[in-house]
Amino acid sequence: MRQAYRIIPIYTADVSGVCSALYELGGMTVMHDPSGCNSTYNTHDEIRWYEEDSLIFISGLTEIDAIMGNDEKFIHDIEEAARDLKPRFIALASSPIPYMNGTDFPAIAEVTEQDTGIPTFAVPTNGMHDYVRGAGMALEAIAEHFVLPKSHAEDVSNKNTEEKGRNRLVNLLGVTPLDFGPLDHAETMKRSLEQYGWQINSMWAMGDSLDQLSKSADAAVNVVVSSVGLRAAKVLQRKFGTPYVVGAPVGRFTEKLSEAMEAAVSGEREDNVVYTACRMSAKNLQDANDTKESPRHRAEITLIGEPVTMGSLAAAIELQYSRSVRVLCPLEETDGLMTPGDEAVCGEEMMEEKLKDAGIIAADPLYRPICPKDAQFFELPHIAFSGRIYLKKIKQMPGFADLI
Amino acid sequence: MIKIAVYGKGGIGKSTTVSNVAVALAEKGLKVMQIGCDPKADSTMQLRHGEAVPTVLELVNQRKNDFELEDMVRIGFGGVVCVEAGGPTPGMGCAGRGIITALEKLKEKGAYEVYQPDVVLYDVLGDVVCGGFTMPMRKGYADKVFIVTSGENMSIHAAANIAMAIDNFKNRGYASLGGLILNRRNVKREDEKVAELADDFKTSVVGTLSRSEQVLLAEEKQQILLEAFPDSEMADEYRKLAEQILAVCEARG
Repeated sequence: MRQAYRIIPIYTADVSGVCSALYELGGMTVMHDPSGCNSTYNTHDEIRWYEEDSLIFISGLTEIDAIMGNDEKFIHDIEEAARDLKPRFIALASSPIPYMNGTDFPAIAEVTEQDTGIPTFAVPTNGMHDYVRGAGMALEAIAEHFVLPKSHAEDVSNKNTEEKGRNRLVNLLGVTPLDFGPLDHAETMKRSLEQYGWQINSMWAMGDSLDQLSKSADAAVNVVVSSVGLRAAKVLQRKFGTPYVVGAPVGRFTEKLSEAMEAAVSGEREDNVVYTACRMSAKNLQDANDTKESPRHRAEITLIGEPVTMGSLAAAIELQYSRSVRVLCPLEETDGLMTPGDEAVCGEEMMEEKLKDAGIIAADPLYRPICPKDAQFFELPHIAFSGRIYLKKIKQMPGFADLI
Repeated sequence: MIKIAVYGKGGIGKSTTVSNVAVALAEKGLKVMQIGCDPKADSTMQLRHGEAVPTVLELVNQRKNDFELEDMVRIGFGGVVCVEAGGPTPGMGCAGRGIITALEKLKEKGAYEVYQPDVVLYDVLGDVVCGGFTMPMRKGYADKVFIVTSGENMSIHAAANIAMAIDNFKNRGYASLGGLILNRRNVKREDEKVAELADDFKTSVVGTLSRSEQVLLAEEKQQILLEAFPDSEMADEYRKLAEQILAVCEARG
């Protein structure tokens, strides 16, 4: 039963990640699946669904389409919809059936783009990975296809922006409601960094248009605020040389993050996972760091969730309260994003085992049933885990940057 | 890097042809990689003197991602880098999907960067029975497809089907048809029939191989002909074919 989930749910899948990341950018997201379960990525996981329009095209793949490989019908339907709706781009996402069939999405994207003249790209999902991968690949495609070189971005020449001003311009990468909730919650991160003199060019991808995102090469530094933004950061670094740091502004950690951003702009910083550097150097926790076996095994506080947001929150708690924290990460993409002592956890049984001795736990409320009864539990609803169940509660809570 | 996929009816002599062409190219100082795309995993067998090679899919099945590139690669006769995609037990699973996974895994493990072959030869199972078998001709894999055929009707029919599939995919950025390879069975009007097929698909017969007992004798010795009878006339036919294939790939970019 090692990887079976009996009590807690699993995180939402890569396909939901794609829909969420691209929701506000004016494109048409095409899901090649049989329909029927699309309420997952359209409503359960999508808190903007009833308030804001977005083009989500469901192909309605049938058994005979799958058997016969009716790609022509699929292409025809997409093109018909695209001619009517005129999206800015077309994103093709795959699901388990076309994945198993080996449907060639990059080739279909090429044909569709040739026929319609609309930029089209494939996001290689298969419904078998978590949302971080899907949303990450979707933003990576945006970075690859739509960001203009610095000289082409209008604002630079038109407004005669001074070099000094440009050095304070940043993009926040990896912002979706799946991790940060409603827009006003995500915007707490903007305000928090603005207090340190930074100007936010764009949030990828909430509250900003595709046009705004396309000016991202003007930024002096990118801030990867969740693991969803990492792939896009690497593309922007490769294409435009923009450095990036990893960490989300929250509480006292924001100051450390801002310092790291300054260092990155001046080309000094090598270690770009800021919360790890911060937690490893925290004097009050030196003993915990020095312990040979599991450094944070006896941590007082346990956080469960996405590695960048929880790592940043852990750093903020350690800075503010001098209490040791460990992060348990149940998601797939953790390489380089975990601080020594934090752990990648696979499956409910392993999570239950890791939580056995936990005293204070902060996690999505749906984790509560597998936590020890005597543990103190703080609710941190996470839409990627519990969907909109706790949306009302989330709306009453402070946004991420103001959590502590 | 020149990337070539070879298709044709089952049993028509693709693996024998590809292995001999691979060695003929290696003799010219080129680094050659031969990738068998057939669940039977016997494409490179004669290059390895019958020695077993762990297939890519066997490794994925047993070890998930916990193996190295070297585990799925063997160096065969003439220094040819040999890989076998492998596949499910006959009657089970999905062989076409297997080809996709195997080729993706090979790419993911950096096979092309590490071995830096000058020529990659994909030896693909008989008929293009489903999407998976088009994988070697998809963008990022082969640039040219060569079809091996004899003058037998069934072989010509299979070759026509493959040529038609290539034509269907022309707007997808797939490999284009490089030409036909006539592997003689000495049937009536053989040259004429294959030339007609080439005309129908606006291509050419890039090379012709004689029916030779020596090929079978070499096979008995678990060797390719270029190893067993390097000075034979047949060996020169393979060398000439390799030159012609190279010329087509270089001329048409």
